[in-house]
Order: sequence, then structure tokens, then C-alpha cells
Amino acid sequence: MTSDTLRYAPAPGRFDEVIDADGTTRPAWQAVARALGSFEPDVLLERRRQADRLLDAQGTGHLVHEISLATDRHGVSAAQRSVSHPWRLDPVPFVLEADEFRRLAEGATQRMRVLDAMLADCYGERRLVADGVVPPSLLHSTPSFRNQTVAASGRAPWLVHYAVDLVRDAAGVWHVVHDLTDAPSGLGYSLLNRTVLARVLPDGLRTLGVAAVNDHADVLRRALAASAPAGRTSPRSVVLTAGPGDPTYVEHSYLATRLGLHLVEAADVVMRAGRLWLRVLDGLEPIDVVYRRVNDTRLDPLEPGHLGGGSGVPGIVWGADGGGVTLANAYGSGLVESPAVAPYVAEAGRHLLGEFLSLPLLADGAPLATSPVFAGNQAFPFVSCPVVLRLQLTRVGDEIVVMPGGTGRVLAPDDQPSRPTAQVVKDVWVIGAGQRQRPVVVSAPPQVDFGGSVPKRVADALYWMGRAAERSEVATRAARVVTAQLLQDPTLAEVADGAWAGGAVALLRAAQAAPSLLPLDGPAATERLQPELDATCIAAAAQLAAMVQEATSVREYLSTTTGRVLGRLARIHPLLAGAASQADDLDTVLVDLAALSGLMMESTVRGPSWRFLDLGRRLERALAVLGAVEAALAPAVPPFAQQPLADAVLGANESLVAYRRRYRSEVDFHAVLDLLLRDDANPRSLAYQLDRLREHAAGLAWSDGAALVEQASVQALAPIADQVVNGRIVALDAFVLGVRAPLLELAQAIVQRWFADPVNPMLVRGH
Amino acid sequence: MSTRFRVVHRTVYEYGHPMADGFTTAHLRPRTTPWQTVISADLVVDPAPDELDHTIDAFGNPVTRFAVHHAHASLDVASTVVVDVVLQPVPAESPSWDSVVDIAARARGELAVEVGPYLAHTASTPCDPGLAALVDLEFTPGRSVVDAVRGLCGRIFADFLFDAGFSDVTTPLDAVLHARRGVCQDFAHVACAALRSIGLPARYVSGYIETAPPPGEQKLVGVDASHAWCAVWAGECGWIDFDPTNDQMPPQRHVTVGWGRDYDDVAPVRGVVIGPGGGQTLSVSVDVVSENRQ
Repeated sequence: MTSDTLRYAPAPGRFDEVIDADGTTRPAWQAVARALGSFEPDVLLERRRQADRLLDAQGTGHLVHEISLATDRHGVSAAQRSVSHPWRLDPVPFVLEADEFRRLAEGATQRMRVLDAMLADCYGERRLVADGVVPPSLLHSTPSFRNQTVAASGRAPWLVHYAVDLVRDAAGVWHVVHDLTDAPSGLGYSLLNRTVLARVLPDGLRTLGVAAVNDHADVLRRALAASAPAGRTSPRSVVLTAGPGDPTYVEHSYLATRLGLHLVEAADVVMRAGRLWLRVLDGLEPIDVVYRRVNDTRLDPLEPGHLGGGSGVPGIVWGADGGGVTLANAYGSGLVESPAVAPYVAEAGRHLLGEFLSLPLLADGAPLATSPVFAGNQAFPFVSCPVVLRLQLTRVGDEIVVMPGGTGRVLAPDDQPSRPTAQVVKDVWVIGAGQRQRPVVVSAPPQVDFGGSVPKRVADALYWMGRAAERSEVATRAARVVTAQLLQDPTLAEVADGAWAGGAVALLRAAQAAPSLLPLDGPAATERLQPELDATCIAAAAQLAAMVQEATSVREYLSTTTGRVLGRLARIHPLLAGAASQADDLDTVLVDLAALSGLMMESTVRGPSWRFLDLGRRLERALAVLGAVEAALAPAVPPFAQQPLADAVLGANESLVAYRRRYRSEVDFHAVLDLLLRDDANPRSLAYQLDRLREHAAGLAWSDGAALVEQASVQALAPIADQVVNGRIVALDAFVLGVRAPLLELAQAIVQRWFADPVNPMLVRGH
Repeated sequence: MSTRFRVVHRTVYEYGHPMADGFTTAHLRPRTTPWQTVISADLVVDPAPDELDHTIDAFGNPVTRFAVHHAHASLDVASTVVVDVVLQPVPAESPSWDSVVDIAARARGELAVEVGPYLAHTASTPCDPGLAALVDLEFTPGRSVVDAVRGLCGRIFADFLFDAGFSDVTTPLDAVLHARRGVCQDFAHVACAALRSIGLPARYVSGYIETAPPPGEQKLVGVDASHAWCAVWAGECGWIDFDPTNDQMPPQRHVTVGWGRDYDDVAPVRGVVIGPGGGQTLSVSVDVVSENRQ
């Protein structure tokens, strides 16, 4: 392989992005081809794998689509979730020379102005209808025409964000494939793809002077603020998503993080007094601008033509009409992306603005130009495919800013340019633009920091994520400890007429949060051991799945590394659910869970959101310690069974090493209880959890919660005598019951006080 | 000579549980037309809404939006309307339907803006192939538009069975065409779709008809709920109403609330409540009486 060309032979007779008609490499591509040509195909293959992994880490959102879930708190059944496989990023970028990009950007900018003018006219004066530019019935027969919007004409701009798909034909001429004006997608993916490719091909980006795209998130944020209703001095914007079930949820979540805005679902917001409000932990906070990533057919169930029953934000269009909240883009903007309207855009441009569109509309079936796409380690590692380019435009006040980059979507052989199916995308590099584009100067006031406010739904999800994380750890650890004890001493199962086995079964049942069985001994206990081990692994897997699902809906509150660990856990979880999990699998899960809990402690800002995450963990851990003690230590067993059972409980609560270091003795029943229940220096003890719960209740200024924690703490001081009645240490049972009752009450109170909100919209009609 | 009608239209929802929030859009206040003068229009909502807003929609119809933001287990919307109505004149002479189609298709200026919306096929009034059987025999070349529409009106009345149990607001047009049965909303949709399929502008009209007939006259169909009929644009003769459910052109004892392309544009009450799920029951009563004759 030579070092300055790609091993690539495009189809003859068509314009190719890299190789011109004479077979030489185009100027814009020479340096890129040199950079890529220096890689052997297997190196590129490794780079692509690296890209896959990086996308995977960001795309935790799609994990939920890969896990089958038995239950779903959000009421979305697995069947309703659309499958969204992650896309693959081609290591070969799509390169645009600066002058060519400028021409495309000008054409796209012109088009955005024309589409905006069309919207203003079609929902206002209707000169296009009156002057016969469009047929009289066109608007009202186009499903995306929001007729009722007419009353609210006069707003400007209609489009804050616009995206356009462009393609070059076989003769080298650029055409418009279609416009995206309702809820344009792709900006988040473009930013994400760039961060990935910057890691995969760092030298290429640096040495070639590729124009930076990351500013565009700021541009959009400022554009949203600038579009706020008049008179809002510190406007607040949010990103509205349909939720994790949306096929592009990953993008919504990523973009919200990049924008520094709350990602909200319909149930997070409510219309009141003509304004939109965010439901936060302590009431309602006003919202000024909604960057909606929900199509307008699913936005407001009150509006005619609404799809999806009661879903959406009732009254939001009413609020937007009245100027209480800005929708970006405006309700009804989807009209001009309709295929029925597209043929009239050029004439509308002439008629309304006196402009001749520089980019023509693509004719059906036109042959297209090609680009090299990496196909793997083979004789010809690059194949030639048509690529559809998506540019992103944002309007800030009167200025339209085109992101110097974008996404190229590769077309499979039989694809229509409007519907690529290949799931392979290219990062778009604009090179030769010199220094960074001049900074955008906008007068929009800054976004108010939402940092302190947490939507109820988010707190809810984080709390349950914390509980599920702890619950899965408890189950995994219990299974791990019992498995290890059996491996070390296979005779243990029969010891003391199955006394150890009976205790181990009870411990495993407690770890599954399953109802306890009647006391088992003898062969019955021994036989029960393996089924309970399997069931414990399955319970651990179910809790892992639940945790990942909760995490998915609050992805933007978790760090990138946390996303990566969640991705690993999601992938491991089938190992657990399978029969006869190996100790190694359990260890792998425990290591990742430990990493996760470390990230929760060390990489999460200590705000209200973290508080609810930790509240869930602490509460669950306190209940787990009580459950383990009750199951395995309260029954009176012969001394030689007591030792391994105490070991098991200590191990299941990760306190065995601590015990040995502190007591350096054979098991002492009271010392074990002391370490597990009363030692406030042991981070696994009940006392420690109660201390954290007390802090959280205080941090939330929640007196009812604090009172319940206090009740539990008082009960936790009760002495534990050795007296045995009916084979059980009665004082220990009483202790567990006494502490558990207020904790269970606390669990209910948390939901009631902080999350309860009846949100189950129903559509009603009447003749 | 005008007739005064008093309409009382009550819509009551029982939700079974207290709802936290409720949003409603209502087309209940009547619009003024060349044949109808609105004397009064009162809307009483129980519980009292926390927000209420009267506006005019894109078709010129009065629309009321209101919201209840406190717990309520039921919603009672009572609309009381008093209007004076004169019988619409139907011209003896009218242009040929095909010339009207031509004018509508070539319309420019205000006319294009006025008739354009009513040429459009919508989800409820699609251009179904089954419409041809209704249209072809009546719309013969050169026939006057009033005669042809009167023929269509009579044909729908004769061919379709009024069957309140057959359809609801979501029944598609092709099902109605196939079964040849439905209610007034369906027949209005059929007539609108049929007229638009040949290029005649047609409005869907929402309103009421008198409950008790004058002595010696037959009780009309569709009296216990809101009613729906149509209007056709007849070129220089303007808009002419007709009621395919009762085979009347012009309608005799009708109170107009508003019009649009189809039911969805002027649905009397449309709402969303937020609260615990469960059953909801709806009861609707409509009472229309003529108060005096002048």
C-alpha cells in the first residue's frame, strides 16, 4: 500500500468524492487520504471497533432495548419499545473543502429563510394561496398542516433549528433530498460522532485543521434563550423527549447534557395559568422555552389530529398561542417538510422573498455520487457508496448559523436517499476554513442554572435505581458467599443435619426478597440449596435489569464512565440469568457493582439527585442487613453450624474481613451482631445506614422522614439477649421487627412525599 | 320571519376518582351567520375552571378553552344558547356544478383562501373510490349545482340507515360507505367527501336541530345529541346548507354552532384529564325548543 492514496477504486462514470475523472485524488482529500492510507486495514478495523465501543458507552440509552424486562414501572411494554440498534461510525470521514461547504451553507441558509417565510405565510396571510403559487386545497389537505395555528400567526422565527439532507448527483451537482423542520434530528449524533472520531483519529483531526463543531451546542442553547417570550429576563429552556421508548432517545439525552438543559418527559411538565412549569421536588418551576424533540402530532392531546391518545402535554399549544411559552420549533412547523409541499418551495422563495434557491430538489431515481466506506480487512478495504449529508442550522435572533460539519449517512444499494437503511454514518469534516469561525455574538441572556432543581421523575428513577443496585448487589453477594463456602467445604451441606444448609437457604431467600420458608433441615435443606442459588442469581439479574432501565431514563444525571459500567452490567446480566452461574461470573458482576457504587459516591455531584440515589441505596442496605440477620442468625443452631453461618452473613454484608481484623477470633455471636448492627464505623452496618438516612432527611429538611429514621434508631438500641424460644433467638427477632417497621414506613413515605403525582392522562370526548 | 331557538346542551363526565387536572376545548358557542343571530350564549362549568379563555378558531368559530387544576371527580359542562334563525333561501337557478368546480380550481385571491380549505380531503373525509357510486348518477355534465347536490342529499338519505349503534367518532369513512349505515356525523362526512371528490368545496357543519317538532310535523332524527350536516359552495350563489340525515335543503329547524373540514375541526367537547386511571362515564343531553315565532 502506498502511503498517500486509499486502496479504493470507485465505480466509473460517477462523480466520486475522493478520486476525480482522471483517477487522481482531489485536493481536499490528499491530506486525508495520506492520513488514512498510512493505516493498514487491520489498524482501521481496530479503530472502528474502538469507535463502536465509544458509541456504546454513550449509548446506554439503547441498552434498555436489549434487555427484556419482566416489569416496567413506566408502563411501557417491551413490545412497544422500538428496536434501535446502535449505528456504526465509519472511520473514513466525509470531507468538504471550505469553499464548497460555504456554498452548501449559503444554499441551506437561504432555504431555511424561505421555509420560515412559507410558514409565516401559510399560517398567516396566505399570499401563496391567494396568488395561485400553491393549489387552494394544498395546505388543508396536508396532514402536517396545523390549521388551528392560524390564529397565532405573527410569531417569528418559526424555525429555531433546521436540518437539511443533501446529496450530490453522479454529475457532481448538490441537491436537496428533504427538509427537517418539525423536530429535526441529528445534531446530537453529529456532536457525539465527532467526539468519537476525535478519539479514533486524533492526528487526522489535529493536523488537517478540521473545523470544530462543538460550539454548535452553545449556539443552539443561545438560540433557544433568544426565542423566549418577550420580557423573560432569565429564560429557562428544556429539552422535551418522548422518553426512553423513543428510537432517538440516546440523542435527546446526549444533547440535553451538551446543552446543559433538563431533559423532560411530558409527565414532568404541566400547564398552569398560561405558562409551562417543571414539576420539581418542591413544587413547580417556570419554563420559558421548549426545545421539542417530540413530533407535533404527539405534543398536545387537546389538539385535533393528535396521535397517541392522552400522551403529550395537554394545553401546551394553548400556552404557546398565548405567548406563555415558546415551542422551538413552533407548532405546525412540520408543514414545510411534507413531501406534498416540497415541490412548491422554490416558487415560494421567488414569490415571497424574490430569491432563487441555489440548491435544487433531487429528482427521483437520479444516479448519485460516491464516497469510500471502510468495509473491513479485505483486498479492497474501501467500497464506494452514495452518502447523504445532513447539515444543521440554528437561528439566533436574525442570524442563521450553520454547523461546520454534520453527519453523512451511507446508502445501501437499494436505498432511497430519503431513507438510508445501512446504519453506517460518517463524520463530516470541513477543512481549509483556516482558524475557527468567528464567534457568534448574541445578546441573549444566559440560561438560568437548573442545578438545584430536580424533576420528580428524575428523583423517583434515581431512588429506584439506588434500591435496585443495592438489591442486585445483595443477591449477587449472597449467591457468591454460599457458592464459595460450598466450594471450599462440600460437606458443609450435610453438617449438623442440614443446619447450615437451612440457614443458607433462608439467607438466599432473604437476598431474593422472597418470603421465608418454614425452617428446613436434613436432606430437605440440602436439596433446596441449588434451586435457591439459581433463583438468587435470577433475582440479581432482574434487579440489574431494573437498575439499568431506571438509569436509562436519567442518563444525563450520570457520568460517561457510569454509562460505560452500566453498559457492561447490561451485557453481563444474561450470564446471571442463565442456569448455574459460575463464581467467576458473580465476581465480575460484583466488581462492576463496586465500580458503580464508587462512581455514585465519587463522580456524582452532591445535589438533590444524588441524595435520592443514595437514599435508595441506604434504605435497601439497611433492610438487607436486617433480612440477613433475621434469616441466618436468629435461628438457634448448633455451635459448629453457627460459625459458617456467621461467616456467610458477614460475607454477604462484606464485613468478614473487617470482623477478622477487629476480633482475630473465632466467631463470637455478639461481636458479629455488633459489627453488623451497631458499629457506625462499618459502612455495611445498620447503624451506618441509619446515620446516612438521618443526614438525607435533614438535607431534605423533611421532618416526617427524620422522625421515622429516629424511631428506627431508637429501636436499634434495644438489647439482644440470648434467650431461645421455639428454636429462635427471640430478642433478635424483636429487634429486627422493631427497626424494620419504621424503615418500611419510611420507604412508603418517600414515595408519597416526593414522587406521588397522579399522571395518567385520559382522552375524553363528548358529542 | 325568524324563529327563536333555545338550546341546552349538557355534557357530564363521571371519572370515578378525583382527577388532579383537566383540560378541555369546546366548540359550544354558536357563530353568527347571515341566517342566524346569536342572542345569548352561556357556558357554565362545574367545578368552576381555574382558567378559561374564549377565542375564535381558524375557521371563524368561537372556541372556549378551560382548565380545572384542582381535584374533581366529575365535570359538568352546560351550554345554554339562544339564537334567532331565518330559513336560508335556496336559489331556483344556480350555475352548473362543473362550472363551479372550474371556478374553485382556478380560484385566486380571497376566494382561493375562502374555498381552499373545503376542497381538502382529510383523514375523516378521504377520497374513497366508493364515493363514485353516490356521485356519478347525480353529477351529470351541465346539471345545476343545487339540483345535483339535492340529488346527492336524497341519495344518502335513501341509501343509508341511521344506526346509532354502528359507529362512533373514530369509524372510518370506508366502513360507513360499505355498511351503508351510521349517524349524522358520518353522513355529513360522506357528503363532504363526495363533493370534494369531484372538486366542489364542502363544509362540515356542527349544530343542533329542534327536539320537539311543530304540530303536525315529524320528529327529526338526531335530536338527542349534537347534530351535523353540510354546506356546499355554489359559485355566485355562495354557501348553501343541506342535511343528508333528514334530506333537507335548506335545513328547516337547525341551529348552527360552527363549521370546518370535518368533525375533528369542530368537535363539541374534547378534553384530557390527569389522574388515577379507571372508568369514566359520559352522559350528554341536548334540548332544543323554539320559543316563539315572529
